[in-house]
Amino acid sequence: MAELPDLDPVVHGKLRLAVLSLLVGVEEADFTWLREKTGSTDGNLGAQMMKLEEAGYVSMQKQFAGRKPQTVYRMTPAGRKALAKYVVALKKLLGAAL
Amino acid sequence: MANFEAEEGTTRDDLVQRVALMEEMIAEGRRSTIRFGWIFVLWGLIDLAPVGWQLAVPHSDWVEIWSWPIAIACGFVIQSVVMAILRRRSGVVCGSNIRGRSISAVWAMMGLTAMLYFAGAMISHKAWQISFVVAMLMFVGMAHGTSAMILRWRAQGLVACVWWIGGIALFFLSNRYWLQIFVSEMCFGMIGFGLYAMWLERHDSAVEGRTNG
Repeated sequence: MAELPDLDPVVHGKLRLAVLSLLVGVEEADFTWLREKTGSTDGNLGAQMMKLEEAGYVSMQKQFAGRKPQTVYRMTPAGRKALAKYVVALKKLLGAAL
Repeated sequence: MANFEAEEGTTRDDLVQRVALMEEMIAEGRRSTIRFGWIFVLWGLIDLAPVGWQLAVPHSDWVEIWSWPIAIACGFVIQSVVMAILRRRSGVVCGSNIRGRSISAVWAMMGLTAMLYFAGAMISHKAWQISFVVAMLMFVGMAHGTSAMILRWRAQGLVACVWWIGGIALFFLSNRYWLQIFVSEMCFGMIGFGLYAMWLERHDSAVEGRTNG
């Protein structure tokens, strides 16, 4: 098996990878939608989103949808680059099987 | 649903699972954001409204001049409001992937071209020459055809052919048939196609609900 260092550990986490994969196809998504799609809990998703934010892979914005507060996430260019790099690294590790 | 507890797997199986997870989530994001059938239904009705209005109030210069601009302006307002409501309900903004942007661009530019063409024809009082109506049908056919190629969707390709056939047929038929052809195209190529797309979207959601449940 090839070494792990080729894979970005921030992207490699399953929930973080799921979130990035969801965000890559949409302009922005709110917390509730991401939680529904990943089937995760508030606490776990919140913690992972913070890690992605700290890495600069997603940006967060708090806003109101009518009277309801909404936390909206958007993938940053750095996040797109990191995901693309991760896919290339995965391809290398898995070789022709991919 | 994926198990998000086991975080740091590095075996080959784990990596293959990561690939599957990415594919599943990317597809999930796309499936959730593609809701466009209603737009075809809306614009089919919007385009039929001025025709109905002119038939209801014949020989009115005001209606003849303003029915189309008013209908199109209403269409834009309704579309913007419904899109904002859908966005608020679903929690996502529509897809920004290349495919989604390509299709949006095709329809937006078709709309802009048709509007400029229409404005020019109205100002120069040439809007009801048969070649004007043919060009309009061809524009819509081109947009459907391009979208069908991007999506590799045969049903939409068939709809494009219907628009093109209608346009060409108008060249050979008497001028008095333009209304029948225009209304038929709108009913089949916009409203009918939109309802079919809405049915597909609903069907996909139902399948998705059953698999997740």
